[in-house]
Amino acid sequence: MSEVRKRRFVVTRFDPDRDAEPRSQSYEVPCQPDWKVLDALNYIKDELDPTLSHRWSCRMAVCGSCGMNVDGKPTLTCKQAVDGYGDQIEVEPLSNFPVIRDLVVELEGFLEKLQHVKPWIVRAKEAAVEEGPLRQSPEELERFKQFSYCINCMLCYAACPVVANEPEFLGPAAIALGHRYNLDSRDEGAHERSEIFRGEGTVFSCSYANECSEVCPKHVDPAAAINQAKFEAVIDWATHLVLPRGGR
Amino acid sequence: MARAADPRAMGASRPGRTRTAPPRMPPEFPFAGRYRAYTLFDATGLVYLLLGLLALRLARALAAGPEAWEAAMASFRHPLYLAFHALALVSVIFVGVRFFSLFPKAQPPKIGPLAPPPAPLIKAGLYAAWIGVSAALVAILAGGVF
Repeated sequence: MSEVRKRRFVVTRFDPDRDAEPRSQSYEVPCQPDWKVLDALNYIKDELDPTLSHRWSCRMAVCGSCGMNVDGKPTLTCKQAVDGYGDQIEVEPLSNFPVIRDLVVELEGFLEKLQHVKPWIVRAKEAAVEEGPLRQSPEELERFKQFSYCINCMLCYAACPVVANEPEFLGPAAIALGHRYNLDSRDEGAHERSEIFRGEGTVFSCSYANECSEVCPKHVDPAAAINQAKFEAVIDWATHLVLPRGGR
Repeated sequence: MARAADPRAMGASRPGRTRTAPPRMPPEFPFAGRYRAYTLFDATGLVYLLLGLLALRLARALAAGPEAWEAAMASFRHPLYLAFHALALVSVIFVGVRFFSLFPKAQPPKIGPLAPPPAPLIKAGLYAAWIGVSAALVAILAGGVF
């Protein structure tokens, strides 16, 4: 059995009813060698300070709830082992988001941005049920599969310098999801989305820092999606300029 | 604590009833961690601005006659100019390498009926074109072509 090691966790605390602004609080946590950062936060909550608020659910990097800044980097705390850090670990809420309480951030703004890109299959005319399901080949699935792995953990938003400075920017996850549907062979909404993508605060606001892709725990590569969407938006604009009905 | 982000960043269009703490920028932005390379990449724009001004100065010297041109050429031997040109060379190489590393994944999955070539092939093509154009420019400047 490996040794338990004491680590100091410096955690951001914020109570909207009492604190003028966020502050830091330290906790000594006896960490088991196989612990993730989330295990340490749960230990603090269960054993040291029940007032600490943080989000988590699945504990297997699928639900995307437990994203926080750990030692300054956006991290899924259920995926990151404490062993990768030193004796002091700093845990803060995700950057670029308003903070509701302690490590819990406000997600309403993201949900509004997400709706903008129409993240669902758009059909010009809905097919009757009798016509059966829309079929798709493995090659067609391969075109967008990578971009459908997003778990909306918000790490990409926390890493993006454009999100910090340009509130209108739709952001990495929302654009990646819109692009995912543009690439879906069953979808007919690419022109609608390309018009949205050509608007203010969309794909052309991205300065390709590539940080969103660096921190993505599911290797979705939102930077690739955004820059591919730039290309597709220009092609769509040019096509509709020359052929007003889009070549149909 | 990290610098303040735009107070509207990732906020809801209609604020809720709970008071929130304003958003903060990523702690490492803009000069630490991986952001350093991104910030430097953007900062090279200043070098290109200065190079553009230098080109205008050369154009004026060219218009003013051979003496002005010779004087401009002589001034380039000053250590400050030499240092600036060395910086410009490093900037161009840095921007080229970063751009070439990010360019392949920005290609759409299909261009018409064709898929783009694999990323290593795109990168090799970019570097080959870069070396080819640089060699051609060196040959022209050395008087080997005209």
